[in-house]
Amino acid sequence: MSDVKRVNPRRPYRMSPAGLRRIVLGEIASADPHIGVTAHEAQQAKPLRTREPAKRWHMAVAHSDRGRLDDHAREAIAAASILATADTGIVAVILGELHENAGELGADKIVVFPDLDASRFQPQREEAVVHALLDDFKPAHVFMPDNLRGDGDLGRRLIAKDEAVAATHVIELDARHVSVGWSGGAAIAKAPLPRFVLLAPGAVDAKLPFVGAGELLPAPKLPSVVEAYRDLGLEPMETADIALEEADFIVSAGNGVENVETLGTLARTLGAAVGASRVAVDEGKFSRDKQIGASGKSVNATTYFAIGISGAVQHLQGIKGCRHVIAINRDGGAPIVKRADLTVIGDAEELMQALITRVSQAREQGEVSRSKDE
Amino acid sequence: MSNAFTVAVLISAGRHPVSGAPRACRGDAVAMALGRRMAGDGVRVVHAGAAEEPSLQDYLALGAGTIEVLPLGNSGDAVAALASHLKSVDVILTGSNAESGAGSGLLPYALARALARPVVANVLEARVQKTAVEGWDVEIRQFLPKGQRRRIGCALPLVIAVHPLAPVQLKYAYARRVSGRIERFPETPAETCVVQPGWTVETASRRPIRLKARETKSGHARMQAAVVAEAKGGVVAFEGSTVDKAQVMLNYLREHRLVDF
Repeated sequence: MSDVKRVNPRRPYRMSPAGLRRIVLGEIASADPHIGVTAHEAQQAKPLRTREPAKRWHMAVAHSDRGRLDDHAREAIAAASILATADTGIVAVILGELHENAGELGADKIVVFPDLDASRFQPQREEAVVHALLDDFKPAHVFMPDNLRGDGDLGRRLIAKDEAVAATHVIELDARHVSVGWSGGAAIAKAPLPRFVLLAPGAVDAKLPFVGAGELLPAPKLPSVVEAYRDLGLEPMETADIALEEADFIVSAGNGVENVETLGTLARTLGAAVGASRVAVDEGKFSRDKQIGASGKSVNATTYFAIGISGAVQHLQGIKGCRHVIAINRDGGAPIVKRADLTVIGDAEELMQALITRVSQAREQGEVSRSKDE
Repeated sequence: MSNAFTVAVLISAGRHPVSGAPRACRGDAVAMALGRRMAGDGVRVVHAGAAEEPSLQDYLALGAGTIEVLPLGNSGDAVAALASHLKSVDVILTGSNAESGAGSGLLPYALARALARPVVANVLEARVQKTAVEGWDVEIRQFLPKGQRRRIGCALPLVIAVHPLAPVQLKYAYARRVSGRIERFPETPAETCVVQPGWTVETASRRPIRLKARETKSGHARMQAAVVAEAKGGVVAFEGSTVDKAQVMLNYLREHRLVDF
């Protein structure tokens, strides 16, 4: 036998969406000989960011949304941990309930205040709570998302209270500097990294190659604060009336939807706003103000149902800001399939009916189990 | 006087973001329209800065009537000057962000702090009512994202930062521009109470760079990441009955907490 190194001609490969075989070195064969399992894919747990005891602190403050942190809040925690040195600890202060592990987002210590939910307006109490934590930890830098869900408001209140050096709507930052848009974005202004940093969305990549210790601290007792404001509650809203640009949940119809009424029922069942692709609007099924896409509206919904929409580039451009896209389509090769997080192949009408039935069942059951709890 | 409460609106020099041409700052113009709706012609319009500012003419055309101008000294601190000028005003309205400079939106908060008053931001509508006790109470409709609106009640005095989407109509009239007056006030010496970072301004010649965690990866890992990233796209459900597929969709919604049932 010669000791020439031989290459297995039938070594595993994976198919790329373009239909090309991609052979990746370091892959090991799985049960199916043609689908390799990357050795790397059996992802080892991410390492801890640092094992040193914390001498200084960075703090990230954000409201949670239905028990989760949105991308913007994650970016604030990520910014705090990326800019931290080895002897800096990260404190994440979460206002509202939290059902996920903030340690994975880079936080070393987590303080959760379930009573300070974003749906309630209690800025003075929030200010007092966060201020007490600022006094405890004395963080070198405080990072917050600059949004309208209460974080931008709270951040500005804290800045005004401390008369601190601050930068708001920060579009770029590194260990020494922050940049903000100047005069409406015509220019960029740079300054040394201030104590309070309110981040514009998208300034930070929330993907981290490390995790934080994620230690959950017991929440300090809420101080008794007499609010100058009376919260008269959120206005009940008719989801169908919400402007598409503002809607959080959109059900959108394309050429594949024959029956507009079914779509309307589905939207009401899910509590969603109704949108449409250009084809559906041109056919006269929807009014022009429902059109989503390059020549219509750009939407930023968390959930976007694309029903019978093939996903032309112009349409995909309009839904760039949507986080979860679910598609119902008859054609498994439609471009929307590449964009969607979940695609269901089948007839739009049947699937919509099935979904309406299933969702109304689930709602009823949910109500029953909730009333039992009470 | 029909109103027992007083309203003042703060206006700033607006600049078109592309051409740099002077104009009324849209947010401040909206605040002014809201102020006129609350107090009619009794609203005071205040500008901290130079009286020669060309954009003030636009505010006159939009119905400012008389603009009170507070010159700023070398410190250039608007908050202290405004706080001492507006001590007796019940409702102070501002826009959300200035169009020139950093536009940080901090002024209403700093002003409220200096005057020891509550502040409400992103306000769409505000209505002042008389309370049972001798006093005034304001009911506010606040803008929240995702189509939500909140109602807040608060006693006077307070500071209100108006959201640019407030439902008001701006009407430009040349006659008002000609008939309007600009009233100059003497400069009041004041100490600084907003600390600004030292900004250095440069032209926006490049896109901002995203802050990313530094990752030390082998070439092999990078190659794999590149190949795996190609396989974009989510789960595709081909199989099963329509009921199963509906369940798949519901499971997805539940798993990502997109629905609350």
